[in-house]
Amino acid sequence: MPELPPAALLTALGSYNLLPAIVFLPTRRRCDQSAAEAALMRRDPNVARRDARRDFLQQFVTEHAEVRNHRHWDTIIRGGVASHHAGHIPGWKLLIENLMSAGLLDAIFATATVAAGVDFPARTVVLTGADARTGSGWRQLTASELQQMTGRAGRRGRDRVGFVVAAPGLHQDPQRIVELLKAKPDPLVSQFRATYSTLLNLLDAYGNFAQVREIVEKSFAHREAAQQITRLEAERNEREAVIRSTLEASNCGLTTSDAIGLERLVSARDRLQQAKPQTRVEVLLRWLDEVVQPGRVVGIGRSGKRLVMVAQRRNGNVLGIREDGRSVSLTLQRIGRVYSPVYPLREDDVSDAFKEIQTRGKELVLPEPRLRDVKDEESDALDLIENFISSVTPAELETEARAKCVEALWSTLPDAEAMQHAVRRSEVLREEVWQPFEKRARVLAKFGYLDFDGQKVTERGRWLADLHVDRPLLVGEALERGLFATIDRTRLAAVMAALTADEDRDYGELELDDSLVTTLGQFEEIGFGVSTEEWEHGIEPAPELNFSAAGAAARWAAGDEWTTLVQKTRAEEGDLFRMLSRTGEALVQIGGLRKAHPQAAQIAWAAAESVLREPVR
Amino acid sequence: MRRGESGRGRGKRKSNLRKGERDDRHSHRRKPHNLRAAVVDTQSKPPAQSHETRRLLEGIGTPASAPFKPDPFQLEALAALEFEDVLVTAPTGSGKTWIAREEIRRLIENGRRAWYTSPLKALTNSKYQEFSDEFGAAQVGILTGDRKENSDAPLIVGTTEIYRNQLFDSLRGGQEVNADLVVLDEAHYLADEDRGHVWEEAIILTPPRIRLLLLSATIGNAGDFAGWIEEVRGVRCGVITRPGARPVPLRAAFLLPDKRLMPLTNDAGRLNPEIAAMEDTQRRERRKQWHDR
Repeated sequence: MPELPPAALLTALGSYNLLPAIVFLPTRRRCDQSAAEAALMRRDPNVARRDARRDFLQQFVTEHAEVRNHRHWDTIIRGGVASHHAGHIPGWKLLIENLMSAGLLDAIFATATVAAGVDFPARTVVLTGADARTGSGWRQLTASELQQMTGRAGRRGRDRVGFVVAAPGLHQDPQRIVELLKAKPDPLVSQFRATYSTLLNLLDAYGNFAQVREIVEKSFAHREAAQQITRLEAERNEREAVIRSTLEASNCGLTTSDAIGLERLVSARDRLQQAKPQTRVEVLLRWLDEVVQPGRVVGIGRSGKRLVMVAQRRNGNVLGIREDGRSVSLTLQRIGRVYSPVYPLREDDVSDAFKEIQTRGKELVLPEPRLRDVKDEESDALDLIENFISSVTPAELETEARAKCVEALWSTLPDAEAMQHAVRRSEVLREEVWQPFEKRARVLAKFGYLDFDGQKVTERGRWLADLHVDRPLLVGEALERGLFATIDRTRLAAVMAALTADEDRDYGELELDDSLVTTLGQFEEIGFGVSTEEWEHGIEPAPELNFSAAGAAARWAAGDEWTTLVQKTRAEEGDLFRMLSRTGEALVQIGGLRKAHPQAAQIAWAAAESVLREPVR
Repeated sequence: MRRGESGRGRGKRKSNLRKGERDDRHSHRRKPHNLRAAVVDTQSKPPAQSHETRRLLEGIGTPASAPFKPDPFQLEALAALEFEDVLVTAPTGSGKTWIAREEIRRLIENGRRAWYTSPLKALTNSKYQEFSDEFGAAQVGILTGDRKENSDAPLIVGTTEIYRNQLFDSLRGGQEVNADLVVLDEAHYLADEDRGHVWEEAIILTPPRIRLLLLSATIGNAGDFAGWIEEVRGVRCGVITRPGARPVPLRAAFLLPDKRLMPLTNDAGRLNPEIAAMEDTQRRERRKQWHDR
């Protein structure tokens, strides 16, 4: 069903005394539009309250100059409604939250992302749909998301009851909302992952991989695996005890490692068997696939009397020419014989070929493989097993006593298999959490930040450990190659913005000057070298640089006014704010490397200062 | 006439502003006089309300102001903190922060120290403001990626990343993290795809001598989570959950395109049959339209 116009929605809610309300909408734009429209259509006639809002705003700007003359100011004062989403700067969001808790607003139009983190309750929460908007389309809301939203309904001490109202909307689904409201909260799922920073810091602290690994294996992610490993180890020990007592009882001087040796050979044989075709048909098909090729004559059916010259092969299908010259298509399965000569595929040669096969067919037919040939390798493996057994059983024994020992050894096989399975499985589980760290250790070693064999962090790695930025290795390499010591602060700010910004967010297409383009090119080149090494070690590629962020950050660092920047980039204030604020933080990090990279650090400080100015604090 | 406004007459509306009642989040904020003025809507009259709509809206409005009294689960959490780590899971707005604040107050008054971490810079800034108003500016410091003030104060407010970095530093021979209590606010951020690992690292690396207080949204595996914390830290970790889940009860309603309001569910908790029937009709119509095309 179509959505109610925002003013009509608020009027309806008001008639049931359900205001103030938070109306959740799928996009930022819709929030802004709805607030503006509601304010236009539904003017608050309470003059005192309007004045109170105006006073509140004027009071607020004395401490938060950045919200002065905000484009939504009028919406708030006249309509008593506001929009609240990540596109707004923090100062503005704070203003809205304060207005709401002062009871001066009737409604906030907000995106679902707002539900997390910030706390501004209302009497009523309105859901216009059961779906959430993603970058590429729509998906269903999760139970946790819905519960985050409904968590805003009902103000403690101010409401006896809170309401969630499902309102008409194109993506509305009341049944689904009922289900989500009833759903149990989602479990907390670990997102533990390896990072260069964690690895460098822990290795520098402990001085060996074993202890770093111990820490990593404490992760919540590894907990389930760890519990499984404990069970597997118990299983392993149990089986080992059984094997030991069996072998001791046999009194042949056999040990557990003999039982494991046998298991290894047997499992090797089993693997061999699995890889090999088991039936005659399988064997035949594999062979046909190999030998049936253009220019060869084949016989069709069991008898193999009807002859076909193969013209073309396509997977399991064969195109050919019959003796009468007509073409035919058939499957490999229908071929009963293959003759060895390969003839040229020319018309006059074809009939000669058929003639030759008819006369000398018996001597020219290719021998079919037999299952036994395949089994030969297997019997080799059996010999190996035999040899192994005789090597571990005492040579001086009588045949009968010897047979008993062999039997005792064979009888341990099921336990040895279970034991080895437990060992292998727990190794796999153990590696899962550690592997990504080891890969990163090797990459760091490649670039000289870590001594892999010596299990220690190098001098260079020590300052990298202190550098808490996105993609520290790339930034480290840029520093190490002197790139950051030779550029001015605006360019450094721009490079770090390109690195820090969300990959796919647009901050306008401001022109980049030539020197910045050159620097970004050099930085990309370094990034390519790092990514190549990472890729070779199986580390997934990092996101690309955001040049549009670089342009915006360069203008800002060069001293543009905030309003000018917002106008020029046409980006949302909140996005610009976040990007610049994170860029500033990254610059502060580089600024901290006074000892290792004094020159770059100095430039970074200057850059940080020019980025972290009002309203980007 | 408007209905259901908690039995109060229009003249009394001003008194809806609570006096002397503490709102545990916004107490620090300046409150303008008056102002929970009437919801203004002169044009429309409320639609005639059916019995079930009246029942749905019954009791709507503002409760009489009462002096603040802590919930039993808040007191339980405080008591548990005396001798163990505590994981509090409760929805936002149910008073988790109150627990942290009272525990911090107790510590500061005894000359001890605390760290309060939050995932977002905006939250950190507002907590800094809140705690400064509460305990006095000299008692509180802030550390974020771009802000460092009063960093020797007994209470440090900061982002979880900065706290984790301090743990790294102290492991590498730097200064010990000087705190008797660490509060991890929004602890469910552990499940954040990008940054969740920082929470795990913070929990694993916090020395067992430091008490941990984790404040989390409601999660499905609180027992498991606490069990893990116990294992890695070797300190008991109690789970405190707010019984009844919500501080203010929630009712679900459905607003029809003709602006009638009805309960979303029936008494059995299933979708209101009237809504289900309406949905069916709409679906049939859509299908028919589609066929007609």
